[in-house]
Amino acid sequence: MSDLKISHLYKNFSGMDRPVVNNVNLNIKAGELVALLGPSGCGKTTILKMITGLFQPDSGDIILDNTSLLPIVTEKRDVVMVFQNYLLFPYMNVNENVGFALKMKGINKDKIDEKVKDMLELVKLPDIGGRKPKQLSGGQQQRVALARALISKPKLLLLDEPLSNLDAHLRDEMRELIITIQQKLKVTTIFVTHDQEEAVLLADKIALIFDGKLQSYAPPKEYYECPINERAARFFGGVNFLKSTINNLNIETEIGLIIYNQKNKNDLLDNHLLAIRPENIKISKDNIFQKNCFSGIITSIIFSGTNTRYKIKIKDTILECSVQSLGIKGISENDKVFIYLPEDKLWGMNE
Amino acid sequence: MNTNLKKINIYAIYLGAFILILPLIAFFINAFSFRWFYPQLVPKELSLQAWVRLKLIPKIDNRSFDNFLELWLSNPTIIKALLNSLTIGLIVTIASIIIALPAARVLGLLNFRFKKIIIFIMISPTILPPIAFVLGLNINFISLGLSGSFFGVCLVHLVPIMPYVVLTMTGIFANYNPDFEHQARTLGANKFKTFYLITLPAIAPGMVVAALFAFLVSWSQYLLTFLIGAGKIMTLPLLVFSTASSGNPALTAALSIVFIFPTILILFFASKFVTGDSSAKYGLGKL
Amino acid sequence: MSGDRLKIILSLTSPLLIIITLFFGGIFYGLLQSLGYQPAIQKYDINFDAYYNVMFSERYAKLFWTGLGLNLWVSFVSTFLAAAFALFGALAIRKTFFAKTFCNFIYSLNLPMPHLVVAIGMIFVFSQSGLLARMSSQVGLIGSPSDFPILVKDKYGLGIILTYVWKESAFFFIILMSVLQSLGENFEELAQSLGANKWQRFRYVILPLIMPSLFSASIIVFAFSFGAYEVPALLGISYPQMLPVMAFEFFLNPDLNARSEGMALSIIIAMIVMILVIIYFWLIQSKIRKN
Repeated sequence: MSDLKISHLYKNFSGMDRPVVNNVNLNIKAGELVALLGPSGCGKTTILKMITGLFQPDSGDIILDNTSLLPIVTEKRDVVMVFQNYLLFPYMNVNENVGFALKMKGINKDKIDEKVKDMLELVKLPDIGGRKPKQLSGGQQQRVALARALISKPKLLLLDEPLSNLDAHLRDEMRELIITIQQKLKVTTIFVTHDQEEAVLLADKIALIFDGKLQSYAPPKEYYECPINERAARFFGGVNFLKSTINNLNIETEIGLIIYNQKNKNDLLDNHLLAIRPENIKISKDNIFQKNCFSGIITSIIFSGTNTRYKIKIKDTILECSVQSLGIKGISENDKVFIYLPEDKLWGMNE
Repeated sequence: MNTNLKKINIYAIYLGAFILILPLIAFFINAFSFRWFYPQLVPKELSLQAWVRLKLIPKIDNRSFDNFLELWLSNPTIIKALLNSLTIGLIVTIASIIIALPAARVLGLLNFRFKKIIIFIMISPTILPPIAFVLGLNINFISLGLSGSFFGVCLVHLVPIMPYVVLTMTGIFANYNPDFEHQARTLGANKFKTFYLITLPAIAPGMVVAALFAFLVSWSQYLLTFLIGAGKIMTLPLLVFSTASSGNPALTAALSIVFIFPTILILFFASKFVTGDSSAKYGLGKL
Repeated sequence: MSGDRLKIILSLTSPLLIIITLFFGGIFYGLLQSLGYQPAIQKYDINFDAYYNVMFSERYAKLFWTGLGLNLWVSFVSTFLAAAFALFGALAIRKTFFAKTFCNFIYSLNLPMPHLVVAIGMIFVFSQSGLLARMSSQVGLIGSPSDFPILVKDKYGLGIILTYVWKESAFFFIILMSVLQSLGENFEELAQSLGANKWQRFRYVILPLIMPSLFSASIIVFAFSFGAYEVPALLGISYPQMLPVMAFEFFLNPDLNARSEGMALSIIIAMIVMILVIIYFWLIQSKIRKN
């Protein structure tokens, strides 16, 4: 159980036009599972490597339990990283791989064997100790890598894209395993991912990073309900944006006046953007809604299995809206429909 | 601490490079000096005497172009050896590529019974030393009348070369997709054009490595040429060896420079091809 | 299928023919001659006299066994030193900017240099009036040439070893650099994050990862240095004498009876190399089976 504090972290590689990590601050509480989320090349893996000590930051500090990690060499930090492609040592069998960290500490063999057995049970692979990495499936390799990382009881566990090399069905299984183990051992964990869905499903909190800068650090839900800016909102996918201006106390958008009552109402600048997710837009053939109601023409209908997506043209703006399963009966292209933008699902942003 | 280590590393490189280059420096000093007595580190007099004695450069007072030409055309031993080495090298290189090409294609693209055994037979000359086969072969060649012939020497050079050429080119074909050829054929290219426009460009870089290697092996071959050539075929390594045994450092040095200069030139320009391929790399240890 | 088979046979015939007739034919004929079959001097009976003579007769036994000892000593020491230097060098500079430059340097300077020329270079550098002796004398380390240690044409084969180390360490270096580069640094970083210090990373991570390539390169160098003729012929002395030189001198002996002995020696050299290679493959095979 360890707190991690990252303050004003800064890293610039020579030959790059902008810093890879630019003034990042993060406070991670003991036992939390945190995702560093961002597109590839945003600097998230660099942050991991600075926490492990494989890279030295240009400035800033990394503090674990009130002591700075920077003067400590990598191998003494008690910070273990699991690499994206697992990197099981090919010439060692599973037992030797898992026991590696303890062997490095010079612990005697019987004790290592005992611990290895425990760890393999923890990752639910009790009987494969004698095998070589080549004989394991991708999912098994990932579990062994996890066991190897956790055997020395690190203060901090770092996972680099832990699920990206796995098939879809293995991901769910692995995700659950990571959560179970993390809760059981209560080890503070940071993982890096470029997949917002993965971050949302796994993490207690998400640190969103663009171009080396921390955009926001919040629980997953907030990224859906109140994204900090347009780019963040777009990163979490499928959002409609309405350009809007403040007109007296009302908000004037491309499609008309909108009543807006969210908590950041008074912070909005004159020109801003309103966002609403497709699944939050209500749609009907008849004019049954009272406020924030607009009429438009359906321009396309796409059925995608779990839901049906409509594109609706209101004035010159096209909104996308999605309805579960087969959608609404009796609506076809070029029909006139009414839509409703619920007040509590709208979110205004200044950039 | 880290920068110190880096400094040490850089010094290590310089030291390594210096040790590697030291013999080369010695070659040049020896070849261009006159009466370089111990303990002089640098010779008092520079001279081209060794080169004059090798008949590569005319005597001091008549160094005109015509004299150079006349000297070379008078067919001194070194020119004869140079030409022999060059012709044998080229013939053997071309022959080995032509012979190896179909075999490498089959070995690289197809799977069949006995493939492993065939590959083992092919590469066996790389493992066993040449002295193991050339003594016996020499007697055979004498009775066949091949001993002392140009053809015989070319033939025996093929033995150490063949394995590497086949192996290198097999490696190329193992990563080669013949569907490109099929595509070209369906688009209307005939067999010749398909080979010329599709196959050849794809295998060219690897072929350059193989050819280079074949030439270098032939160029530096001493024992096989000496035994099979039976004293009648003089090549550069033979000349270098006999001069070195007779113990004139200036002549030996000058000859060595003539001997290695082309090879360094070739590999300098071709090093970018060599870097990629591992099977050729393993052969380089034996030059 | 039958078309394929015909194609395979046609394509493989010519290279196989060359290897089988010239290489295996040569070995076979050498074997026959070593067993006393010499039609040229009307000898047709098969016996092991030549082998016995070379190994146990009073005349040659000492020469042979010291030669064999020298052979093993030279091959082991040069292989080991070359590999060690190369490993040290490759590990020291692999992460520097110079590494690539140095590789290119070796490619273009060292690799095309025939062993014959390197041997001559070693005479120029390491002989008692060579470049190093002159340098030592300039800085006042030695006086006359005879103060400088005998490093070429010496009875321990030092000049031969120097030649092989000079030449093959660069070969090892190239092989190691390409292996290290293809491995990348991830394994080491991972080991470091798991708590391995510098020495442990070398011992438990780098060494096992490069061992297969290091080992096969070593076999090549060992086999080559065991059977090569030019270098010991130039840098060796008449006693103790390395086996390939001895075989060659037997063979060139005007007394045609000595030919059998020369052949026997060359077959012995080949056998030793072959046994070594077989052991090597057997080791690898058993390792694969174990896994």
